[in-house]
Amino acid sequence: SELHQTPATELITQFLEISEVGSAHQDALNWMLKVHASYRFRPETAYLSVNYFHCFMLSPRPLQPVKGWPLQLLAVACLSLAAKLEETRIPSLLDIQLLEPRFLFKPSTVQRMELLVMSCLKWRLHIITPFSFLHYFIAKLPHLSPRSKDFILTH
Amino acid sequence: MEKYEKLEKVGEGTYGKVYKAKDKVTGQIVALKKTRLEMDEEGVPPTALREVSLLQMLSQSLYVVRLLSVEHVDANSTNSNLDDSDPSKRNHTNNKSNLYLVFEYLDTDLKKFIDSHRKGANPRPLPPSLIQSFLFQLCKGVAHCHSHGRAFTVPLKSYTHEIVTLWYRAPEVLLGSSHYSTGVDMWSVGCIFAEMSRRQALFPGDSEFQQLLHIFRLLGTPTEEQWPGVTALRDWHVYPKWEPQNLVRVVPSLGPQGVDLLSKMLKYDPAERISAKAAMDHPYFDSLDKSQF
Repeated sequence: SELHQTPATELITQFLEISEVGSAHQDALNWMLKVHASYRFRPETAYLSVNYFHCFMLSPRPLQPVKGWPLQLLAVACLSLAAKLEETRIPSLLDIQLLEPRFLFKPSTVQRMELLVMSCLKWRLHIITPFSFLHYFIAKLPHLSPRSKDFILTH
Repeated sequence: MEKYEKLEKVGEGTYGKVYKAKDKVTGQIVALKKTRLEMDEEGVPPTALREVSLLQMLSQSLYVVRLLSVEHVDANSTNSNLDDSDPSKRNHTNNKSNLYLVFEYLDTDLKKFIDSHRKGANPRPLPPSLIQSFLFQLCKGVAHCHSHGRAFTVPLKSYTHEIVTLWYRAPEVLLGSSHYSTGVDMWSVGCIFAEMSRRQALFPGDSEFQQLLHIFRLLGTPTEEQWPGVTALRDWHVYPKWEPQNLVRVVPSLGPQGVDLLSKMLKYDPAERISAKAAMDHPYFDSLDKSQF
């Protein structure tokens, strides 16, 4: 089932070759990562939100957000979903829309988009990430106190 | 959602209502768990989001309740299929929106089953072979969750404190540890094991403090030797020093192997507590025909 959740790399590459799409897409991803950094979210949150974004972009649908507000709305929803899954402190839907002067979406609008993304992911938000394995390997490290393992895992 | 006919309300909680319903086409009986989505607040609630995605990941096992589907319903709209709708064209004034989790319907649950043996016309103990079989299935389900649940196998910083029904809550959680792990579930399994034998809860506390005292009175007040680090936990205080009681006194009908397994589930130090997988290999289950599961 993990394979079904990994967007095909060649599809992404083809998609990004359309230059206009590519740059708008890049902007949306950059925005997510900047907000991620300013809230000091966990690395998993960045990985998941980008993954949700790609899953949605690559799903067959008649109206695909390619630029402008629909793309930004998608970015907000993906970041919000990932934060809700992974973070213990979650900013409000208005507070999460930092650093983007062009659009500010109402929470009800973001919720609709969240639902669209979730249904597109078949409600499976727990995607396997490289981080899923990290804990396992750290736990296997000898000569480390539980304290230092916690330190590694949370930094 | 029009595909289901609601038959009766079977439960209600802080999250919303649970209905028994029938699939109009197939006749399948299902349980519908309704979660309200407040449209003007914070989007899809994190609790609903986590519940659904965890269940999607875990309900492949026969020993975990099956989530059949998730349906989203707008009060003013009959369209429950979100897949191909454009959010910009939808009616944003509508404030009532519900998420339905569609589960397989189960006639009863263990709590009700135990209660039916304690109260009513014919109070009687649960047969030992049934307790053995139920406990094995419970361990099997928990083992499945622990091997698939990446989200909660890992002790993380700042996990939430408010988890698990009080009576089944592990001492490390009650003492304010936020680094807890799968051991908290094994504590709960131990409490349920004892409850099946006693037909009443093992530690029926009515506050977090009382809950700890219930535990300490039976198992003794934990010491640094038994449980390294316990006195450094956030909510540790100086408690009266109770001596551990013999477990046989609270579960006399369990037998020596049963009591041994129970004592391994109720170890104070989470690192020493038996895992679900190891529990399945405990001699208590030697007389059980495991091939049926």
